[in-house]
Amino acid sequence: MAGEIWLWAGAAVAAAFLAFGIDRVEPNARGAYAFRPLLVPGILLLWPLVLWRWVAVARGAEDWRARHDPPRRMHGLAAGALAVLIPVLLVSALVLRPTLSSERAPVLLEPPAGASR
Amino acid sequence: MSVAYTPVQWTRTKWLYDAVLAVAVIVYLWVFVTVGAAASAPTRPVDGAILNARALGSCAFFMLSAILAIGPLARFDRRFLPLLYNRRHFGVMTALVALGHAVFVLDWYFAFSPTPKLEALLSANTAVDRLIGFPFEWLGALALVILFVLAATSHDFWLSFLTPPVWKRLHGLIYLAYAAVVGHVALGALLSQTNPLFAMAVCVCAAGVAGLHLAAALGERAEAEAAGAWIAVPEAGAIAEGRARVVALPDGTRAAVFRHEGRLAAISHACAHQNGPLGEGRVIDGCVTCPWHGFQYRLEDGCSPAPFTEKVPTYRLRWREGRVEIAAEASPPGTPQEPIGAEAPA
Repeated sequence: MAGEIWLWAGAAVAAAFLAFGIDRVEPNARGAYAFRPLLVPGILLLWPLVLWRWVAVARGAEDWRARHDPPRRMHGLAAGALAVLIPVLLVSALVLRPTLSSERAPVLLEPPAGASR
Repeated sequence: MSVAYTPVQWTRTKWLYDAVLAVAVIVYLWVFVTVGAAASAPTRPVDGAILNARALGSCAFFMLSAILAIGPLARFDRRFLPLLYNRRHFGVMTALVALGHAVFVLDWYFAFSPTPKLEALLSANTAVDRLIGFPFEWLGALALVILFVLAATSHDFWLSFLTPPVWKRLHGLIYLAYAAVVGHVALGALLSQTNPLFAMAVCVCAAGVAGLHLAAALGERAEAEAAGAWIAVPEAGAIAEGRARVVALPDGTRAAVFRHEGRLAAISHACAHQNGPLGEGRVIDGCVTCPWHGFQYRLEDGCSPAPFTEKVPTYRLRWREGRVEIAAEASPPGTPQEPIGAEAPA
């Protein structure tokens, strides 16, 4: 239910943005229509982000430094996290892996003592 | 440079890149299914749908590993750069392959579920308190959602509209997706897999990706730590005509010091269009030309030539004690800077 509400809100934002907003905030989109359907899935999923950027661009409230400052520190954190998580996951899986029934050597069953064959 | 958007900006290189990728995926799937069916024990045959799901799932894992390896490899060796520039198509194709895996899993294991298939997948196992038996399906679903968000926002429009830093933060979720995929494979397929070749391939790929990224991050950190308010440009005299040396700055950004007609000037390494690597481009007709999409900037002020309006930050340069130094702090985009001579003043 929550997912449906989210997607319906996204559909409303997509309709308004692609019909009216996009030409005002993105000069390269003026007169270009064929690519707009490709944006619909992204707007459906991320419509709050679209609204935030729409308002920010319309107000002209942008910091030039932010636009030219790629988040390089994030890569260091991500690399560190991967370097810890991946070995832990792989080693845990290989060490804890249970022996499957198909991997056990077959055992010839003997009848109980005294039982007739 | 500033051009109207099209659905896909095809070039001959991109056609070739995508064709090679598509053929590689098809060959991998065909070989996996053919060999897998023949290799399964006659007493324990593997159903076709399961084989398809395994083929698509393993293919998506290896594709994602390759995507993540391209970035650090390109930092160590420029010959990998062409793979980096077309990486978004690779990502979209990976999302589609991963979706195929999910469809086969849902249609096979939950075909007769009384509840909706996706709901059944997510609610069938909730044993989060243990490692063996952990609901690894959740990790796969998380990775799939992230891959779809990234594919849905891969068009150039998103990069420009969200701004490159926001877009890059969003697409930084790829690391979370990869960790989730490794967890999905480790706690799922690896536990029930009897083929040691598959386990080895998974370990080599995942450890390789983690190792490459760690090495790249440590290298960059060492460069930035060696800096102050003015930073020495290493071997500035060796910069080739029309080319640049990229300098890591203490705030995490990077500048590109170009040599042109016997003079040195510095601008941001990040293109205003998509944060493309300007320092890997060259000077054409007096302008720095981005290797990604050909956006151009004048060296003296970081502005695109008329009628274009893009601008990038510029940096002050100076000679000190026989070496070239660059200001650690950028000047606002379009700020004129006086180039300095490429040879040390007498």
